[in-house]
Amino acid sequence: MRAGVIKGYMQKEFKDLVRTRMIYLVYLLPTMILLLFGYGIRLEVTGARTIIIDQDQSRFSKELIDKFTHSKYFNAKVLLISPNEGLHRIKQAKTDILLIIPPHFEQDLLHGQKSEIAAFIDGAFPLRATTMQGYVEGVILHAAKELAQRFGLRHPLITLNHRALFNQAMRDENAIVPGLIGLILLVAPALLSALLIVKEKEMGTIFNFYSSPIKKSEFLIAKLTPVFLLHSINIFILFLWATWWFEVPFRGSFWLYWVASELYVLISLSIGLLVSIVTNRQIVAVVLTLIITIIPGFLYSGILMPISSMVGESYIEAHIFPVMYYNHIIYDTFLIGQGLASMKNILYLAILTGYGALLLFIGALLLKKELR
Amino acid sequence: MASLEVDRVHIAYKNVVAVKEASFTADAGQIVGFIGADGAGKSSLFHAIAGVLRFRGEIRYEGHAYHSPKEAEPLKPYIGLMPQGLGLVLYPQLSVEEHLKFFANIRDIPQDKAFQEYKKKLLHMAGLEEFPDRLAKNLSGGMKQKLSLICTLIHKPKLLILDEPTTGVDPLSRRELWEILDQNRKEEGSLTLFSTAYMAEAAKMDKIHLMDEGEIIAQGSAKELIGSARPYTYQETHCQECITFNRRTYSLKPLSVPHAEPTLESLFFINALKKGKIPPPVEVLPRETQIDIPQIVMEAKGLTKRFGDFIADDHIDMQLRRGEILGLLGANGAGKTTFIKMLLGLYPIDEGELYLLGRKIQSPKDRQQLKSFIGYMSQNFALYKDLTIRENLLYFANMHRLPLAKASERIERLAKSLGFWDYMDNFPKDVPMGINQRFSLAAAILHEPVVLFLDEPTSGVDTIARAQFWQLLHKLKRIWGISILVTTHYMSEAQYCDRVVVLRRGKKIADASPKELERRFGTDDFEEVFLRLYEERR
Repeated sequence: MRAGVIKGYMQKEFKDLVRTRMIYLVYLLPTMILLLFGYGIRLEVTGARTIIIDQDQSRFSKELIDKFTHSKYFNAKVLLISPNEGLHRIKQAKTDILLIIPPHFEQDLLHGQKSEIAAFIDGAFPLRATTMQGYVEGVILHAAKELAQRFGLRHPLITLNHRALFNQAMRDENAIVPGLIGLILLVAPALLSALLIVKEKEMGTIFNFYSSPIKKSEFLIAKLTPVFLLHSINIFILFLWATWWFEVPFRGSFWLYWVASELYVLISLSIGLLVSIVTNRQIVAVVLTLIITIIPGFLYSGILMPISSMVGESYIEAHIFPVMYYNHIIYDTFLIGQGLASMKNILYLAILTGYGALLLFIGALLLKKELR
Repeated sequence: MASLEVDRVHIAYKNVVAVKEASFTADAGQIVGFIGADGAGKSSLFHAIAGVLRFRGEIRYEGHAYHSPKEAEPLKPYIGLMPQGLGLVLYPQLSVEEHLKFFANIRDIPQDKAFQEYKKKLLHMAGLEEFPDRLAKNLSGGMKQKLSLICTLIHKPKLLILDEPTTGVDPLSRRELWEILDQNRKEEGSLTLFSTAYMAEAAKMDKIHLMDEGEIIAQGSAKELIGSARPYTYQETHCQECITFNRRTYSLKPLSVPHAEPTLESLFFINALKKGKIPPPVEVLPRETQIDIPQIVMEAKGLTKRFGDFIADDHIDMQLRRGEILGLLGANGAGKTTFIKMLLGLYPIDEGELYLLGRKIQSPKDRQQLKSFIGYMSQNFALYKDLTIRENLLYFANMHRLPLAKASERIERLAKSLGFWDYMDNFPKDVPMGINQRFSLAAAILHEPVVLFLDEPTSGVDTIARAQFWQLLHKLKRIWGISILVTTHYMSEAQYCDRVVVLRRGKKIADASPKELERRFGTDDFEEVFLRLYEERR
């Protein structure tokens, strides 16, 4: 390996990155993804548009209505309309929830009889609907529990854990932003390293590599080092966005975050290298890289669904992609802070190391100094 | 023992054979030429020798034998490859100086005083010493090729492999490239392999290999090769089992007419005869619709197109008369395609006036009405790769709103007369380029236009298909009475046109009949004619 050759090639790469303004992409793309997704994904629902039809007009019904109107999760209005009219509004997407309190509601309860409240929820977005359903149930059960206590029932018929239902302790940012770092650091370095190689293939300058005595190792180092260095800076930029802008707490070791992230960047750029081996056009390389990084990066990040609740194929797939291992460590450093005290973190760090080394090895093996 | 020995090299891509058992030898200090159309196998052969492509067979260079790119690796310090394509190995964002530095770096050349001297000399030879800081993207085509060449020479290769370095380059730059090569050969004694599609360059080579369909069909010096063609070349006549093109008739059997002086191109025709591949005759049937055509079909007055600061076409005046083949010639980037695109309304006109069929073109609506009178065949043939030839033609017929029954009938007539009826249900990629070329022409004349614009219709097509295509154009002109505007960067094709207009960097530098030009410069070699024309305007 000759340092002069590597240095000469690398200088060219940096000049090219700056003069083609690709450097902007390197630093704008991660920040853009973080801001777009950071604000764009909302798992909790606030201000659900709610219409309440009170057919009872009693004290109890008013108390129940108060519970809805005073909650930040609902934007409740009491309207004097027919149930059919209310359902029609859900159909028109003018409201999310329709509650109908039946006549004799208070009377039935006072007589110890069963009473039914009708709750209609717009289920167009199942995730949102389930969340809203949980809120509605929570409010009603809470009210029922109070009622039971007031009547001095020693064993309330209903018990519930409203913390679980309300997701009060968890902020969305805390849950999403660290996962997004795992997504971004998988997408961006892969994209850049794939582009740097495929660009030369598409333009024909790859002949300079094929027909000269540059060694494969020299070429790889010259191509991948700039990507690695540039994206190492992104590790810090993303950290600052997360902790300063989104105010995500950071409870673990920064060193662990840094080392794990560098390993992860290495994995990502190796994925880009593999993509560059099978493609000859930049546009194909971009699409392919995005598909194989964004989808697993998002699905198996733990943002949408915890890996532990996955079964069957999805459980296996989650373990094949590197995202899961990295995100486990990242969530730990941000939210938990166990660090290396947890055996799982150490194991996952080792897996990441092996993963990166394996991909890089395969890439170097498949890279050929010849046309195909 | 020869310096380079190529022994039965065979190259195949999936199921297409690019090079069939090619063998040749060459010595140090020689310039060895490979002549043939695109797709003849020159590039593949060069890539194999340069050690960047897998092949079967054996190549020996200075006693070192190799059978794969891997085995060729130790030789790479001694090899310089300049692949085909204008400025292909250059980085648009790097300057001239940075390129030389980069190429020296990747070859690990110490950048000492001797190197600086050599670099200076190369820059001087290429005429680039005044622009060390100019980015490659701002260089002209000729300058790009010269820079590529000196970058390839920077490590003083002993085996220099140049793949069509002069294609699409203006005649002056072409001559300068040759001067650099000559000097390099004298001083470094290196062996140069050189491929070209220009027959005229053959005279400067020590040894020539003619390639056709992956085979080396003849080798020797230009003189020897022409001599070998002499017995089969006659003056133009009519006969069975022979090919007639460009005032000469080729026949294996003796004819009663006097012999004519052959050219290198003649060898391709004789090769076809020897292989029994006499191209089927191409006919043009009379057109179905009749129309009155004005005396002047197209007239451009001061037509100008600018892209930012760059003037692609600078006040060009041009007339296309009834029943005339007008050749629009120039190197890559001279403004030919831009001009045709303005005529077609694909680019808005920045300045000047355009009259088509006697009508001034002002709005897109004017143009729309004229579309049915214009036929256009674009560079690289605008075919749909996923449609068969029949489907492609039906699609074009549909675009011109021909009723289906009439369209099928007309397509059949054209396919049979132009000789591609047997390929109707094939995909364009599976048939020879010559067939694609003729079927593209069929698509352009399906609606029986009165004027035809052809953009580089002959590039990438083998010699015989090219000859046939020109014959076809002349028949089309005679029988249909239509006017044809055709662009080409093959200067030698000027002789097949009724009149030629030569563009150079967006400016018109000549507008005359080929005969007039020949007379003016006292030569019938059009390469020479254009070189002089360019020099006049320097």
